Amino acid sequence: MKEILQVLRREIRIFRQRPIYILASVGVMVFNTVFYLSFMQDGLPHDLPVGVVDCDRSSTSRSFCQQLDATQQGAVVYYDDIHQARHDMQTGRLTAFVVIPEGFNDDIQANRQPHLGYYVNSLYFVGGALSYGNIVTMVNLTNGAVQRQVLRAKGVNEREILARIQPIVLDAHQIGNTTTNYGVYLNGVLLPGVLEMIVILITVYAVGSELKYGTSRHLMQTAGGSMGKALLGKLLPYSLIFTVLGISLELILYHWLHYPIRGSVGWMCLAILLLVAAAQAIGLFIIELIPNLRLAISVSAIFSVFAFSVAGFTLPVEAMPAGIRGIGEIFPLRHYYLLSVQETIWGSGFAGWWQEAVHLLIFLLLPPVLLRRLEEAYVNERYERD
Amino acid sequence: MKEIKISYAGQWLRDWYGIFIHELKLIFTDAGAMVIFFVGGLLYPVLYNIVYSNGTVDSMPVAVVNLSDGAYSRRYLQKFDATRECDIYCECASMAEAEELMHQRKVHGIVYIPKDFDERLNRLEQGSISTYADMSSFLYYKDLRIASSLVMLDEMHTIQLEHYAADGFTGQEAGELVQPVLSDENVPYNKPFSYTIFFISAALMLVIQQTMFYGSSLLAGTLRERNHSFASLPNHLQGLGMGRVVLGRGAAYFAVYMVVGTIVTLLIPWIFRLPQHADWLDVMVLLVFYVVDCIFFSFTWSTLITRRETVFVLFLSVSPILLFLTGFSWPETAIPAFWRAFSYLFPSTFGCRAFINLNTAGCTLQGIAPEIRILTVQTVVYYFLACAAVFLENCYLCKPQRAGVL
Repeated sequence: MKEILQVLRREIRIFRQRPIYILASVGVMVFNTVFYLSFMQDGLPHDLPVGVVDCDRSSTSRSFCQQLDATQQGAVVYYDDIHQARHDMQTGRLTAFVVIPEGFNDDIQANRQPHLGYYVNSLYFVGGALSYGNIVTMVNLTNGAVQRQVLRAKGVNEREILARIQPIVLDAHQIGNTTTNYGVYLNGVLLPGVLEMIVILITVYAVGSELKYGTSRHLMQTAGGSMGKALLGKLLPYSLIFTVLGISLELILYHWLHYPIRGSVGWMCLAILLLVAAAQAIGLFIIELIPNLRLAISVSAIFSVFAFSVAGFTLPVEAMPAGIRGIGEIFPLRHYYLLSVQETIWGSGFAGWWQEAVHLLIFLLLPPVLLRRLEEAYVNERYERD
Repeated sequence: MKEIKISYAGQWLRDWYGIFIHELKLIFTDAGAMVIFFVGGLLYPVLYNIVYSNGTVDSMPVAVVNLSDGAYSRRYLQKFDATRECDIYCECASMAEAEELMHQRKVHGIVYIPKDFDERLNRLEQGSISTYADMSSFLYYKDLRIASSLVMLDEMHTIQLEHYAADGFTGQEAGELVQPVLSDENVPYNKPFSYTIFFISAALMLVIQQTMFYGSSLLAGTLRERNHSFASLPNHLQGLGMGRVVLGRGAAYFAVYMVVGTIVTLLIPWIFRLPQHADWLDVMVLLVFYVVDCIFFSFTWSTLITRRETVFVLFLSVSPILLFLTGFSWPETAIPAFWRAFSYLFPSTFGCRAFINLNTAGCTLQGIAPEIRILTVQTVVYYFLACAAVFLENCYLCKPQRAGVL
């Protein structure tokens, strides 16, 4: 116990001498939290630029443009010719554009079925998809409006008109994110992912630095020759920092910002604790496997960036090629994501996610496997400097 | 000692060449930098292409609760099952059963048809259908939404035609009534809204900037650890000549990165059959502007790195942030003003956009002129900042009593 305290004291000294530890943990986490929370604060983008080439300039076409402009998602930009509009869409300035042909109004009145053309830029994902849906709705509303006039002229009553214009009404519900808030969806996993990245990198950096700067023997001496005590004392201060960061994050998201959660914030705090512990175990395992700071850092960098892609919260796992679907299992973030889905969307409590919790705990079994390897490196202070 | 007379330009070139060769040696003898430049720079594009090779979630399993079970509702479900996006996984007897399936992640959506649906349609009233999407991934939501809406629109036309037929309108006439306005849908560039095409187009250019920044910071940090920074100028210059130092080192990175960049922007898309709508020469022109900008950008910011490994610990999480700042997903017009201003610090913001528009959307060089203009301004600013950084660090290093602090 005394030795652990001594290592702890030594670690706190290092911590105070090198600002990088506080910068890379608290600094980076705060910056990322501020960034993502403010970046998507609107939930869903609105007033996306949609071009309109109105060759008709009739009351019908103008009313179409006005209604498109009045939607929450669209903001109409007028063009005189189609080439300019196409150019602006191709260069990413427009999410989509609509071409209203000459004689649009006359053709409608004379039942000649004019063609309304629309072009969607599908390379800028969210904007393109939203404008696409918006324009399709507007086109159908236009059709509905024309039909309504015809049916009225025929003397059909209003209630039946509605049923004939739109016989089927869709009533869409989004479970767990009723307002389809893009920020809620991304930040709930992205920010814990950033924390995972920080934990892995700092663990590797802190443990590996002892090798790099040739201080590992001193550490072992302080710990009375016990590897376990040395690592415990060394990693404990960081565990504390990461825990505070993790719990603050959960409280900010689910308590302060009221992100939708059906279960309890308490379980989410436990989830992030498990994530932090698993990430620390992974970090320790990497430096044990490669007792060379430089290489270990590069490997952890590749590992933690890749975690975002295979966690499956952007592109679902089942859409990945069969051969790599299982890869997600070796990333703590994947299990955290599955756990958080159960808790925030379904509020299933322990019964719903205990398997993911066990998965995360399994990561803790990794470090003891190769502990001897790191101990040898620590005692012999073998470190290639270049 | 007799001084050999060399013209200013001759001396400049000689220094430049010396620094250029020296830097090349540094890069090629450092395993870490080589790993980042060549393995990192090439591994990521390949990994992303494998992970995102499908790009869309097809045949997403959906549970169906059909309490009405009449002709209209069955036809709706039949068409729904036939969409690319969704498949009916099972027909449940009750909402509770469907909910349980969704809870177990066996289905990612529920379509609920209430008891009076067919009855209402037969009575010429509006029938309603409820859909419930699993919001754990936006792609699930998108699939359910698209499939249910497309079928709804299709059914709408079918039912309308039936009604008009009852009124005595058939054929062409009924068609004109149902669809007074025809629409021509055009979704160029990325018709199925594939995740692959839109993500990788942005990621490729970002990889170039980020690997260069990490690699050059790694080298800069290594040199500083050994107390001889690249900023130590040749002695005969007496503290001047930052230009040839920056340009000499830059030339070495330029040589390396034109190779890496060509592979990433031309070869990788070709191997993985991503859209390549631009002339390869145009892509090369963009690449030259972008790489040069990235070089001075990296030189400027690597000044902050004093030790070899710190660049990762401090700046790794910046990569996803930069990806968002390109506006590839969250539209540029919706980015808060502060972050939009912040995005002007990075070549990737404009390099990625220019690449997406040029290579994937197939616009011309003239179309990406605004982005190239910004890249050029950035290049000039970062060049002078890099020179200033060398100058300041050199002054700092020249004070012998403080040399050891770094």
